[in-house]
Amino acid sequence: MQEPTFLILTALAAGAQHGYGIMTDVARISDGRVRLRAGTLYAALDRLKADGLVTGDKEEIVDGRLRRYYRITDEGTAELAAEVRRLRANAAVAASRLGLAGGAV
Amino acid sequence: MSVTATRNTRAGGRARSRMEKRYRRLLALYPKDHRREHAEEMVGVLLAADGDAQVRAPKPVAWARRFGQHTADSADLIGGALRIRGRMALNRLRQTRWLSLTVRDQRWSDALAVVSVVAPLLLLVAALTEFRIPQAVASSITGHPHWGLSATLGLADLPMAAGAPGVTLLVFLRLRRLAGLGALATAVGQIAAGAVPAFAGYADPAVAFTVLLSCTAAVALLLSPGPDRGLALLTRSGAALVGTGALILGGFSVGGDVWFGSEPPRFGGSGGKVAGLPADLLIAAVLVGVAAACLRAPVSRRVLALLAVPVIPYAFLWQEKLAADLFGQARDGSAIIPSSIPLLYLPPLLLASLILTGTWLARRRAGGRNRQVGSATSGPRSPVSA
Repeated sequence: MQEPTFLILTALAAGAQHGYGIMTDVARISDGRVRLRAGTLYAALDRLKADGLVTGDKEEIVDGRLRRYYRITDEGTAELAAEVRRLRANAAVAASRLGLAGGAV
Repeated sequence: MSVTATRNTRAGGRARSRMEKRYRRLLALYPKDHRREHAEEMVGVLLAADGDAQVRAPKPVAWARRFGQHTADSADLIGGALRIRGRMALNRLRQTRWLSLTVRDQRWSDALAVVSVVAPLLLLVAALTEFRIPQAVASSITGHPHWGLSATLGLADLPMAAGAPGVTLLVFLRLRRLAGLGALATAVGQIAAGAVPAFAGYADPAVAFTVLLSCTAAVALLLSPGPDRGLALLTRSGAALVGTGALILGGFSVGGDVWFGSEPPRFGGSGGKVAGLPADLLIAAVLVGVAAACLRAPVSRRVLALLAVPVIPYAFLWQEKLAADLFGQARDGSAIIPSSIPLLYLPPLLLASLILTGTWLARRRAGGRNRQVGSATSGPRSPVSA
């Protein structure tokens, strides 16, 4: 799983969010390291929707502009959980090889 | 509100409107359905992001930052449109149902599926060795003076130079039918290249090998379920066999190139031959070993039969090399059996005809048996798999 995909799914794991909310949340989660732009975000959302990992939620109009919310599906949650397990296992191996006690990196 | 503030607000509104127009123009690059679904939302997100990016700074600094932000957003919008359009085009190609012919016999179908993975890989290895890529790598490692990279590509080289990597890429993208047509075009291109005077000629075993390999790849890709099924069937030992075969082909070509070279192949002052009689025997032994391993299962036996069609001309290359290693003469004078078009192409064609006739007869026999069983039991007729 690519990092933007992982971060988008992580942002949505806490609850449904609209596009701009996802962008700011991803920046917050990654500590400002990953800044998604609209083109990348909507291309990713399009793919995630096609893969059944994300689905559209409610819509609202704010300041005359459409806001559509997205939420993670059960399949998306399972995929994210599997990725978390994989990353955690890799991190544990890396930490033990580096001799970091308790895997604290 | 002061006059200056009002003027600033109006200027800001005009700038936002200009920006919105620019974003909308770029959104026109997106597919219609995507635009209908997301355009308004995306404009909202772009403008919200732009609003957040506004900073209190001296005018030139603020302008530079906004310019940078707009440029990055515009590039990202174009990139997003290309990604979505590319994905849609790929999906359309994958879902196309044209040329949906498949072999009904399950074992032949599976064998063709395995060959649809192996043949494009071998074609790529053949192309790489033809253009001396492994030789150049080996040269950079060993410092051998006679293995240079072939820098000039002639017209006759184009079918392989474009076809082999193209077919591999299409296989990787899971575009089976397009890859099959690509392999067919590669074969046709190589045959057409025979008209070019500088061409090595049809009587060259290496040319016969690549022409027949392209044809085999085309048949396997067009008539089988495709590389996905082939990869699912390839066991770890099967993959090892494929890898060994590809390595031998590459190594053989490296050795062959040294031997075909005008100057004797020597490493510096050591004087040792790179590919001598031991290498010939090793190649033969490993190939026989690979073939023997393939004889154990019905599908791998069929894979072996299918791959033997293009590999037969390599036997001629091998015997020429063996003769040179034994007698130490130049290739043309030393070949036990000189290469000729009938010798290179007739045996593979005969083998292909045998495969076709054999499967046709097997299907007829199976049909006959089924009819007998059907009339004896008077029950519903079972489907014929062959």
